[in-house]
Amino acid sequence: MIRAAARIGLAIVLLVAACAILAPAIAPYDPARSSLDSLQGPSAAHWLGTDELGRDMLSRVIYGARTSLLVGAGAAFVSLLIGAPVGLFAGYLGGGADRLAVPVIDLFIAMPGLVLALIITVMVGPSLPNLVIVLGLVMWPSVARLVRGQTLAVREMAFIEAAVVAGGSAGWIIRRHIWPNVARVVAAQFALTVSLAIITSASLSFLGLGIPPPTPDWGSMVRSGYDYIGVNPVMSLAPGAAIAFTVLGFYLLGSSVE
Amino acid sequence: MMLRLVGQRLLYAIPTVFVLTALLFFSVTTILGSPASMMLGEDASPQAIAELNAQYGFDRPALEQYVDWLGRAMHADFGRSFTTREPVASAIAAALPVTLELAVLSIALAALAAVTLNSLPTARRVIRPLVVGANLVGIAMPNFVIGIALIFAFSVSLRWLPSTGWVPWSQGLSTHVRHLVMPVLTLSAYYFGAFSLVYRAELREAYRRFYIRTARAKGASETRVAFKHALPNAVLPVITFAGLSMGQLIGGAVVTETVFSMPGMGRLFVGAIAGRDFPVMLAIGMLVVFGVVIMNLITDLLYRLVNPQIRLG
Repeated sequence: MIRAAARIGLAIVLLVAACAILAPAIAPYDPARSSLDSLQGPSAAHWLGTDELGRDMLSRVIYGARTSLLVGAGAAFVSLLIGAPVGLFAGYLGGGADRLAVPVIDLFIAMPGLVLALIITVMVGPSLPNLVIVLGLVMWPSVARLVRGQTLAVREMAFIEAAVVAGGSAGWIIRRHIWPNVARVVAAQFALTVSLAIITSASLSFLGLGIPPPTPDWGSMVRSGYDYIGVNPVMSLAPGAAIAFTVLGFYLLGSSVE
Repeated sequence: MMLRLVGQRLLYAIPTVFVLTALLFFSVTTILGSPASMMLGEDASPQAIAELNAQYGFDRPALEQYVDWLGRAMHADFGRSFTTREPVASAIAAALPVTLELAVLSIALAALAAVTLNSLPTARRVIRPLVVGANLVGIAMPNFVIGIALIFAFSVSLRWLPSTGWVPWSQGLSTHVRHLVMPVLTLSAYYFGAFSLVYRAELREAYRRFYIRTARAKGASETRVAFKHALPNAVLPVITFAGLSMGQLIGGAVVTETVFSMPGMGRLFVGAIAGRDFPVMLAIGMLVVFGVVIMNLITDLLYRLVNPQIRLG
């Protein structure tokens, strides 16, 4: 059951990744090229119809995989970059460092992530690199909490004691002995972090504070398609399904690797 | 003992509120630039900006402004909105009940559904895949996609329900409820997925215990085992999670209210963000901080009250 879920998740992720990499080869049209055939329903020429500017929806959905994966993986990486060192040092050093880090981590986990992301985005301005950083800033506390928990467990092992007796410095022990043992769990969590990042970035785009046009982005596509739901429902439902499909893939992968 | 606990937690909660609101205030004021230039637009003359700054007191030191703002906020005076010129407090007073109703109904429905459906004995093979499927939908589908799919199905295609908008109680109960059905379903789908995840993990743990074996040995039916023995031992984390979700209600409602054009706190906040409406942003930000800190405090205390094994940290 669990292994089947992991396989399905992996298959979905690979399929989306293939779409992202091969986009120029498999997309039937240039995603930015507009035409006079606007707001058309699905047809042989345009499998998913066209949007309000006459752009081919299928091509835009395929290219949207690039944006989504880039933001998802980038944001998860940034959250790891901040969260892992905080969790490692708090967990290994304990004492004052831990007492300072834990309340901050708990508090930011309790904050509604989307509200936090909206406030930071309006300050720094919406753009693709900013979005990656903002999402990383919102998500690092859960990574830090996981890494801290794992570090606490590994710290009690005999080989750590041996490393301390051998005269290793804290930094060296963390790098050489703790991190390799924590990394496996973090890697499993990484897929879950990516799925959360994709949902949050899509929500920001839907609220109008995501990636600015004309970059093909699923959240923004749903937003503009929503205005025409009575005319061409595929315009919002297709990119919406693409988001759900991708998130599901990363979720199944992440939750079954543990 | 209990009083000391409350005191200790408050001692921690109060500085948290101060630090967070200060962080919010200073980052919004310094990074977004002076409120006057925001109100007048980028083309305004420096003189006009300076005049307005002086009029509102925006030219004073930041710390003084913060203390002043906080002092007024304590008396529910958040100033006036830059865009509507309406007092922020009355805008919030109008929006809060909408969000409260939406959030309370959604969270209650989701918690009830998650606990009941996931408790149904695994023997009923027909239901299980449906429940797991619904869990996955709640987890993987963003709120706005669920909302739009519902609108497409029930408003555009079937024409059963009004697509968007909100009607107060006073204009008829049935119209009010008809406008509320899809938003509540949308928001509860998300919570349903999250609550189920927690509850199922807890349930697996409960089923390993001896009291389950004892109950079965005594001849209790699987349904009785599930609802009388496993449920009470697994439900606590769901209650905690539901409480914490109430603290985040504005965050949960942002997307749903935008999809369904409901005049609640979430949409007020999104409007304030879009219009750089500084007093509204600050006021809602402060309410979010308050909500989170207070609900954390309450769930923490309740948890300790219910389970005395957890000692003071």
